[in-house]
Amino acid sequence: MSAHSQALGSTSLRPRPRPAFSFRRWTEREGVFSWLMVIPPALFLVALVGYPFVYGIWLSLEERPVAKPGVFIGLSNFISLVHDPVFWQVAQNTFVYTISATVLKMIGGLGLALVLNQDFKFKNIIRAVMLLPFIVPTVLSTIAWMWILDPSFSVVNWFLVRWGIANPGPSWLGNPKLAMFSLIMVNTWRGLPFYAITLLAGLQTISPELYEAATIDGASTFARFRYITAPLLKPVVFIVTMFSVIFTFSDFQLVYVLTRGGPANATHLFATYAFDVAMSGGQFGLGAAIALSMLPPLALLIAGMAWYMRSEKT
Amino acid sequence: MANIIRSASRRDVLKIASLAGAGAAFGGHAGYAADKKISFMHESSFIPAYDDFMKKTLVPEYAKAVGVDVDYQLISVGSLQTRVATAAETGNGPDITAVYFSWPFLFDDKLLDVSDIAEAIGKKNGGWYDSIKESAIVNGKWKAVPFGNVGQLMNWRSDWFGEVGIKDFPDTWDGLLEAGIKLKKAGHPFGFELGHGFGDNHGWLYPLLWSYGAHEVEPDGKTVVIDSDETARAIDYARKLFQQTMLEDCLGWTDVNNNKAWMSEQISCTNNAESILWFAKKQFPDIGKVTQQSLNPQGPKGRFHILAPWNHAIYNFSANQQAAKDFLVWLMDPKQVERWYSSADSYYAPFLKAYDNAPFWSVEPRNLPYRDSLSTSHLPGWPAPIGRPQTESVAKYVVVDMFAKACSGKSTKEVIADAAAQLKQIYKTA
Repeated sequence: MSAHSQALGSTSLRPRPRPAFSFRRWTEREGVFSWLMVIPPALFLVALVGYPFVYGIWLSLEERPVAKPGVFIGLSNFISLVHDPVFWQVAQNTFVYTISATVLKMIGGLGLALVLNQDFKFKNIIRAVMLLPFIVPTVLSTIAWMWILDPSFSVVNWFLVRWGIANPGPSWLGNPKLAMFSLIMVNTWRGLPFYAITLLAGLQTISPELYEAATIDGASTFARFRYITAPLLKPVVFIVTMFSVIFTFSDFQLVYVLTRGGPANATHLFATYAFDVAMSGGQFGLGAAIALSMLPPLALLIAGMAWYMRSEKT
Repeated sequence: MANIIRSASRRDVLKIASLAGAGAAFGGHAGYAADKKISFMHESSFIPAYDDFMKKTLVPEYAKAVGVDVDYQLISVGSLQTRVATAAETGNGPDITAVYFSWPFLFDDKLLDVSDIAEAIGKKNGGWYDSIKESAIVNGKWKAVPFGNVGQLMNWRSDWFGEVGIKDFPDTWDGLLEAGIKLKKAGHPFGFELGHGFGDNHGWLYPLLWSYGAHEVEPDGKTVVIDSDETARAIDYARKLFQQTMLEDCLGWTDVNNNKAWMSEQISCTNNAESILWFAKKQFPDIGKVTQQSLNPQGPKGRFHILAPWNHAIYNFSANQQAAKDFLVWLMDPKQVERWYSSADSYYAPFLKAYDNAPFWSVEPRNLPYRDSLSTSHLPGWPAPIGRPQTESVAKYVVVDMFAKACSGKSTKEVIADAAAQLKQIYKTA
């Protein structure tokens, strides 16, 4: 019962005097307090995400050499990118890298999640160990990969030569095609646990009764996967794919440590190319334009996925 | 009761949040003291003794002599440009910074004119080498006081060259190819970086291009002339050198790889700074004994080297400009700087001619070619005056990738067309 109804129910007809304004009481009002709670993180987001983003858009419209004032040039940076053959190669590389690595992570992650969802000894320890590639700082694990892929010291090549498969072993980072392949493999290795653990969480939300009922009805293992696991896991797969695509598309560290975009731009991605042009080349405007070029394909993809998810629900 | 707890915690949250906000807004500003202290930013040297000498000997000496404390700030290898750029952009940073390559041109607007001290130091010490003027003089003004060059020369295994009957390092690129073919047959391939590193790629590819008479742009800084017969000949040569003498892996190498390959005795010749010899002597003495160093071979149009200079510049927003200048003058006095050069053996080749015969050159005579290369060294982009487009071309690896693509099988015509298209785009907005 509120104060208002209490007042109405009382014998006195005089309106109850309004209490004096109290700051403390004011801040305790739900409407005020919720805003007070929301404003700091919102300001935080505006300062650390919003401002750099808008500044990035502004920079991309300028001829802006490092440490010099910028000159507004409209879309000229984007027009020069359209005529830059390296930009198109970078775009192609980024798509090949993202699509291949995401598909591999999805298949591998699903497989791993299905295995880890079974009951076996040391289940928890193995689940924890599996997360290692994801936990170890990328730069560190990538340096380990640098040695694994090194022609002179490669453990892979050592086995290949020992087993008589190849002599000398392949040049994992020197051959343009193999270099991209190697990067995709390293990215898959690093991102697989993220997929596996998220899908495992998804699998555990599926009620075992569904499987029991299906088994009683005579459904095969494949049929149970096809008609129970797959449809119920779909929303989780979508979410995890969306995250993975964003991370992979804007990857920087792995390429920067292993190849810096070489050989001859065969592994340059948007992020590494933007960094080279902006930081080493001192062209902030052009660098910002390259970085911003990531936005439309990513936004389209995410909008598409969100739309698909919604249409699935209804 | 629950309400009391809730309201108390609400107030606490607000209090903490507002305090944190105030702290972020007003605190945490690490300003630089206005007097009695100056800061000096440097990239960590490959020669640790060099940084130690500054920290443990020169800094205390300066504090004792002048009463000014020098804060020698070391930045990890490869990160200095980002730091220099951040300081230039924000107007907040050290007083003096080391600058490399073409940076005096990139950060020109934020660097102090140091012509007075640079010219005085030159006059007192036998004059500056002409080559360094390409890097330190921007629009007629010295924007940095030159320090030393970390040249990129030929490093070769005298024992393996000897095994195939070659005593002296080949004087021409053709001679080098011949030697390489023999050495690869003997199981000792060459290894020259063709990937996206910082220096070991430019170190031999630009000089190769120039020695065939080719260059990216005319001295007018506008006309792109990479599409020439000379470029084609240089590319055809590089392709042969790669295919007949090197490991395939060189295409993906960054700056660390040739050093690793050298220390693991995988390659018989590479192009590197003299740190390769320094490191071999310290860690792999047997390899150190048979590591020789020579000038780059010459081509039809001469012999060239890359200019890889370290200079010292003062930010024009520094509150201690005069103190910074005084320090650089003191530092560049022979009493100090000769000992600093010596601490690094001869890793930094002085641009001052007075040091041409300094005692530190005799400590390791195998380093002498690094001194001799100074007069034929240029910055990428030469013979055009240096500026923003040259830096962009280097950052985009236009010349390196032109050679790398040819080595991995593309036609000469195709790779030149790619490079010409990129260069025209880069120089259009110059």
